[in-house]
Amino acid sequence: MSAPAQAGFGKVLKEWIFTCDHKRVGILYLIGSLAAFLVAGLMAMLIRVELSSVGPTLTANPGTYNVWLYFHGAAMILGFQIPALTGFLANYLIPLQIGAKDVAFPRLNALSLWLFWMGIVLALLTFVIPDPPDFMWTAYPPYSIISSGNTAFYTFTVLIMGFASIAGGVNLITTIIYMRAPGMTWSKLNMFVWCTFAAFIVQLIFVPVLGTAVTMLTFDKYLGTTFFSPGSGGDVLLYQNLFWFYSHPAVYVILLPFLGIVFDVVATFARNRVFNYKAAVYGAIAVALMSGEVWIHHLYASGMPDWIRIGMMISTILISVPVGVMMISLVGTLYRGAIDFKSPMLWALGCMFLFLIGGLTGIPNAMSAIDLHIHDTHFVVAHFHYVMAVAGTFAVMAGVTYLFPKMFGKMCNEGISKLGFVVTFIGANVTFFSMFFVGLQGMPRRYFDYQQFPQFQGLNQLITVGAFIMALGFLIVLISWIHALVAGKKAVDNPWGSRSLEWTTSTPPGPGNWAEVPDCTNFDPYGYGSNK
Amino acid sequence: MEGHDVAHHGGAAGHHEWEVSLWPLLLSVSVLFVLPFPFALYFVYKSGLLAVLALGIGVPLLTVSLVGWVSEAIKGRNVNSVEQGLGTGAVPFFIVAEAFIFAGFLAAYWATRLLAPSWPPAGTPHISMTIPVIMTIILVSSSVTIHFAEEKLEHNNVSGFISWLIVTIVLGAVFFLISAYEWSHLMGAGFTFSTNIYGSSFFSITGFHASHVIVGLTGFIAVLIPALRGTVSKNFVKSVSVYWHFVDIVWFFVVSQVYFW
Ligand SMILES: [Cu+2]
Repeated sequence: MSAPAQAGFGKVLKEWIFTCDHKRVGILYLIGSLAAFLVAGLMAMLIRVELSSVGPTLTANPGTYNVWLYFHGAAMILGFQIPALTGFLANYLIPLQIGAKDVAFPRLNALSLWLFWMGIVLALLTFVIPDPPDFMWTAYPPYSIISSGNTAFYTFTVLIMGFASIAGGVNLITTIIYMRAPGMTWSKLNMFVWCTFAAFIVQLIFVPVLGTAVTMLTFDKYLGTTFFSPGSGGDVLLYQNLFWFYSHPAVYVILLPFLGIVFDVVATFARNRVFNYKAAVYGAIAVALMSGEVWIHHLYASGMPDWIRIGMMISTILISVPVGVMMISLVGTLYRGAIDFKSPMLWALGCMFLFLIGGLTGIPNAMSAIDLHIHDTHFVVAHFHYVMAVAGTFAVMAGVTYLFPKMFGKMCNEGISKLGFVVTFIGANVTFFSMFFVGLQGMPRRYFDYQQFPQFQGLNQLITVGAFIMALGFLIVLISWIHALVAGKKAVDNPWGSRSLEWTTSTPPGPGNWAEVPDCTNFDPYGYGSNK
Repeated sequence: MEGHDVAHHGGAAGHHEWEVSLWPLLLSVSVLFVLPFPFALYFVYKSGLLAVLALGIGVPLLTVSLVGWVSEAIKGRNVNSVEQGLGTGAVPFFIVAEAFIFAGFLAAYWATRLLAPSWPPAGTPHISMTIPVIMTIILVSSSVTIHFAEEKLEHNNVSGFISWLIVTIVLGAVFFLISAYEWSHLMGAGFTFSTNIYGSSFFSITGFHASHVIVGLTGFIAVLIPALRGTVSKNFVKSVSVYWHFVDIVWFFVVSQVYFW
């Protein structure tokens, strides 16, 4: 940087903190979600150390353990995965992929970003207040109502982040509909744009219902309403229904964008068209449309007539059909491709592998006859960590590594990056594959101790070792990013040789992205010449 | 600072400036001091004084950032044409989200009601059926009058537009006042939020609808003030009136389910 740039430090800072530019908003989303990821990961380590031996290990107070569980779940889902995928990736990538100068409402976008940050602040304050929430991120009544934990901090975190999600969703939906570059027809959109569009529709419909659920919870606890207290005509299961009516589709809010970015990474590094593009797009839309008809599978054990159980079993398994169609498209994109195993591609392939295991173990969970036995065991924990938590995180890593040169103009060191991937991949599988077995043996989830069942200790120690390997892996990834920022090689405009529109900008792109809005009449995001 | 205007990072797009605004950040911070902090301080930590203190920071901050935001938007009207045209495109999506908030409350109401052994539950006083009929007539007429106002605007008759807009605002305000009267009347009769599940549902749903009336009225006033000075944004009028029709349609659900069923 030259001397005048030094003098302009204050201006640069101002241009970041007060920014309304979608790329910078995206990067600030990334920073916030990574902060949540680090703290939530720390909680996971505390949980794993606690479970590594029979009897109290780190704490003798189950309430403390509950607070760790609460923060781990809430921060991973609301603070990390949803904002990293629909905040960071969507904001950074969508305007660049559709050829827009920015999103439709740049100031509203900045508002969404900072409301999300306020949600993070509120969540972190739970470490300071004397009565942190201790009821998981699900906050089921009656416990969340009678608990001395601060329910208000939880519900307001959800409400503020929920509003940020809705505003962000409206913003990007409007952007995709109205701001595509000339010639950028719907059939030319990247898979990431399509998948994220579907995810935003899901958000618009379901986040408000979570909002009503936590609003009623707040009213019940602090204003004396009786929505969830059976003694006065309320219904406890009503909360579970409203909560999962949102929270199962929340899985698709995470799943769709992460499959979207994996599609784009896989197409780029396999130098291939997306196999059966149209079917994959319809698959994404079908997932969005069907996302609202499966939530009751979370309540199999809570009690319901058998005919509902059977109906929900069928509807749950049905949604694996469009997901399967998307998966086939992904695998088909690899077929006869000229695959280049760069680090973003490794993360994407790792994501596909983890997602496949998670998806297949979801089927026994969906079957009510099996689920009644494995409900609330570690089998379920292993399943949703594979399908959503770890697969989603791998997709975020794929996205960050893929876009790193574009965002910061620096290349990551391939060696360190690949090492980080390998270590994380091994750690993730050691952790969660072992968890299936301890779960099948009957180890319940959410318990801070298993004194009656010392036979679980061996597998639990293996899981804890896996967790530490995984943590080491993510640490290496973090080092690779910092190393790249400080000492990385300068990146060219299109280091991966992608045909997508985002790589036609300068690196990193300036305000407005392009000097002129690009003409996309003859554009094809997957025009690699093969498989046509 | 302005003197050291440095070259931009992106060479290709050099003639653009990074768009900055102070208000989104400030507004977000103010939200913390207006909602969660006072609520938790008052209801969880039982400290009215600290709650008022939090509001004392939050409310001025909120006001300043809202005013700042609006005036910046008015100033930038010609510069940022993008933000102007797309408002009408975005409103339907906001309305979808809003509709599902009501759907959540109504679904909860249906569930508890259908599972109840008897209805209305014990402790419910007689609720007048005349008041909701009057309210319905008022709200429907306000939907018609705002439609007239829009028609006047189509024919560039600004003074006609303003008159019909004022009629609409008055009707909306009367609707809200009747709603407030009914609340105080019922609460005076000992029927509150916590009386029984019907009280919980009744006050939540009607209260939530009334809050939408307030938002709609605020939107109308935000149209009226510049209109009196001679500037009308047709897109903004369209957005607010679509929102108002939505408030009207939701009322049919509220009145038919909560009062007449
Ligand atoms: Cu589910």
